Amino acid sequence: MGLIDKIINWIDERARVSEVYRAQMIDYKVPKNLTFPYVFGVLALVTFAIQIISGMVLLLYYKPSIGSAFDSATYTIMGEIPFGWLFRHIHATGANFFMAIVYLHIFTGIYYNAYKRPRELVWIVGWLIYFVLILTALSGYLLPWGQLSYWGFIVTTEIPGSLGDAPILKSLFKAIAETIVLWMKGGYVVTDVTLGRVFGSHVLIYPLILLALIGIHLYLVRAAGISNPEGIDYDKKKNPEKFVPFHPYVTLKEGAYVMWYLAVFFFFVFFHISHFLPAENFEPANPLKTPPHIAPEWYLLGYYQVFRSIPDKFWGFVAFNALLILLLLLPFLDWSPIKSARRRPIFFVLFLAFMFASMGLTILGTMPPTPQNAMIGLILTAVVFGFFLALPILSIFEYGWHKVRGGEEQ
Amino acid sequence: MEASRRDFISLVIGGLGAIGGLGALYSLVRVMLEPSEIAALGAKVEVDVSSIQPMQVRVTSWKGKTLFVIRLPKDFNAEGYQIKQGVLNSKGTTNYEILKGQEVFALVGVCTHLGCIPLWKPEGGVGGIDKPMFHCPCHGGLYTPYGDVIAGPPPRPLFIPPQKLVGDKLIVGEEGFIKELI
Amino acid sequence: MNAWGVIKTIIFGGSVLLFFFLLWFYNPFKEHEHYEVDKEVKAIIENPWKKTESGKTIAEEGRELFIANCASCHSLRYDGIYLTSVQNNPKWENIAKTFGRPVYRYGELYKDRFFVPKDVYESFAHEDLQSLKESLGQVPPDLSTMYLARGEGYLYQFILNPQKVIPGTTMPQIFNPEFDPQAKEKVAKIVAYMKSVNTPPPEEQSKRTVMGIVVIGYFILMGLLIWIYRHRLLKLLGYH
Repeated sequence: MGLIDKIINWIDERARVSEVYRAQMIDYKVPKNLTFPYVFGVLALVTFAIQIISGMVLLLYYKPSIGSAFDSATYTIMGEIPFGWLFRHIHATGANFFMAIVYLHIFTGIYYNAYKRPRELVWIVGWLIYFVLILTALSGYLLPWGQLSYWGFIVTTEIPGSLGDAPILKSLFKAIAETIVLWMKGGYVVTDVTLGRVFGSHVLIYPLILLALIGIHLYLVRAAGISNPEGIDYDKKKNPEKFVPFHPYVTLKEGAYVMWYLAVFFFFVFFHISHFLPAENFEPANPLKTPPHIAPEWYLLGYYQVFRSIPDKFWGFVAFNALLILLLLLPFLDWSPIKSARRRPIFFVLFLAFMFASMGLTILGTMPPTPQNAMIGLILTAVVFGFFLALPILSIFEYGWHKVRGGEEQ
Repeated sequence: MEASRRDFISLVIGGLGAIGGLGALYSLVRVMLEPSEIAALGAKVEVDVSSIQPMQVRVTSWKGKTLFVIRLPKDFNAEGYQIKQGVLNSKGTTNYEILKGQEVFALVGVCTHLGCIPLWKPEGGVGGIDKPMFHCPCHGGLYTPYGDVIAGPPPRPLFIPPQKLVGDKLIVGEEGFIKELI
Repeated sequence: MNAWGVIKTIIFGGSVLLFFFLLWFYNPFKEHEHYEVDKEVKAIIENPWKKTESGKTIAEEGRELFIANCASCHSLRYDGIYLTSVQNNPKWENIAKTFGRPVYRYGELYKDRFFVPKDVYESFAHEDLQSLKESLGQVPPDLSTMYLARGEGYLYQFILNPQKVIPGTTMPQIFNPEFDPQAKEKVAKIVAYMKSVNTPPPEEQSKRTVMGIVVIGYFILMGLLIWIYRHRLLKLLGYH
């Protein structure tokens, strides 16, 4: 319509939006064969936006003090404020979906080796996002001040205490352990000050850090170029037929995917919230009454199971931290020049083992700690570590094989 | 495939998108801006006046402001107050002209000078006057039991809120023998 | 997609769906305690907003039973019920009106019941709560959200026979079916009342259901429209 065109022209004269649009959307070319899992990054961004908006709404009514936190969430937001229940449901669903999508996104990246040169920095920044996201989720869960909120927080902040069981330099480690626990917990007892700190971190500090990291992450993805599922970065000039304009080929496809994602999302919001607002958390926090089963939320259960499976607490703590570090170092562990599981059958098998072991560890984490579960947990832990530690060895073989076949830089 | 078919779909998408956006906006506006029902409570206040003795003032609140509910004795002599000349309410009259004949009524208990809360002095004793009156301790404003200014800096009489008498209950905030804030 | 692609989709898609099904829907590996309400009184709890012959709703009768039998030890602040000893204290009314606000939930205002903040209530009732702690070992918890926390089966069984569900608990059995033929009915009414404080009434419930269906349908439709539009546009541009 004439009026809309006039408005667009007015803005364009002052902001040069058309040029940016043309460069970033239409002239920007991406591989034609991007698969479905490539949408997870966009879905993560959409979920982040949903969390910010629903979080802002909750922020208007939540009261971060021990005496009023539970009531502000459960009485005020759920009953007194119109649509308050809807935004609490959205925020709880969003938190879980965010973690799920991020895991799917990470595993996609691992499968297609999207962490390899020249994308190592994308991976590192992504790992930082993952780490801060876990902190955001942990801090957010304390806020409703239910039994699970409180005790989950206590358990999590006391895990670094296992450092005190070190086999050597005991007194040094004990001091470090106690300091970390005191710092995370905010004292020997969780007080109003702790809740206030956790609240401020969750509501502003972590989200701002996430915003910055995500911005850098997206820039780096564009700078290095989106990976190709084949693992071969084709040249746009030499193979133009392998590329398509971002708009409308990818934008509309991902637009439709986003819509269907939201359909699934809102199914949970309206009809199946029970696992995101668990029943036990509707009992107000009672520091004098420990619930019979406390465990971290599902997105940390894998690490929790690794921690539980190893009989010695100190080494259990070291193990699951080592896992996180190994994840960070993945681009440097898997330095083989061949990219993508599609062209690396051995890597494909290793990846399957890693994926099933991670899922298995998480499910095991929901189960009570019997000796059989611990044995299975130990085996799966070995598989997960095996994945990371096998990669450098595999890389040596693949590097040799690649050179023998006259491999050039691709 | 005709361009018109494509345009039609894009129109539908655009239209549905706008509707969806409005729906989301609707819920956001209501959750963020709607005043709570509790606020609505303050708009009306019911006072059981049967327990107020003659010459007694019940102090309560209406819309966040102090409210005086006064019961005058049946034989109350309203003459004999020297009302300050020309100090009139928003209707251009004195409060007495509006409230005379009412045995029970409510006044907004906020001094019209600078907002202090006047004190009820049924024995009088200020400014040489020994009749019942309101005395504002901040700057010495004096009002008759009807809220008209006797002396002091207040520029106008005390406000009369809309009110209605139903049996033993005085409902302030509803149209009755006083229809609007005067 | 070729055959291998289909196999991969099934392996990855299937395992991911199974994984989240176990985590978010039903996990047979996890322990599940299950408590049921006795069949004879199930209907009472089904719809707490139904009116009985007395003209009151089941929830209202349950509320009266609660105040008469439970409020000597338990408060239920979200519906303005406090310890009987506190309620009878003449100083309480003013405190409730000044520091509390009328109970408001699911669009319904209850002018004569007051929601008082926890800190205010617990400091006013400190002595009463302490003496309960001394005689019972711990302060009986506020029951405002106990229906959500435990579920109706658990609540019903526990109130009917506390020792059966938590052996050694200091909560006494208030309704004994051996001596009171209406014991089960009364317990069901109390559970129904607690449910009514934590669950939206049927009109609100159906509003939310409709909202959900409309929203989900909307997104499915939008996705389809965008997909079709894209398909046609790409065909025109020659990319398919």
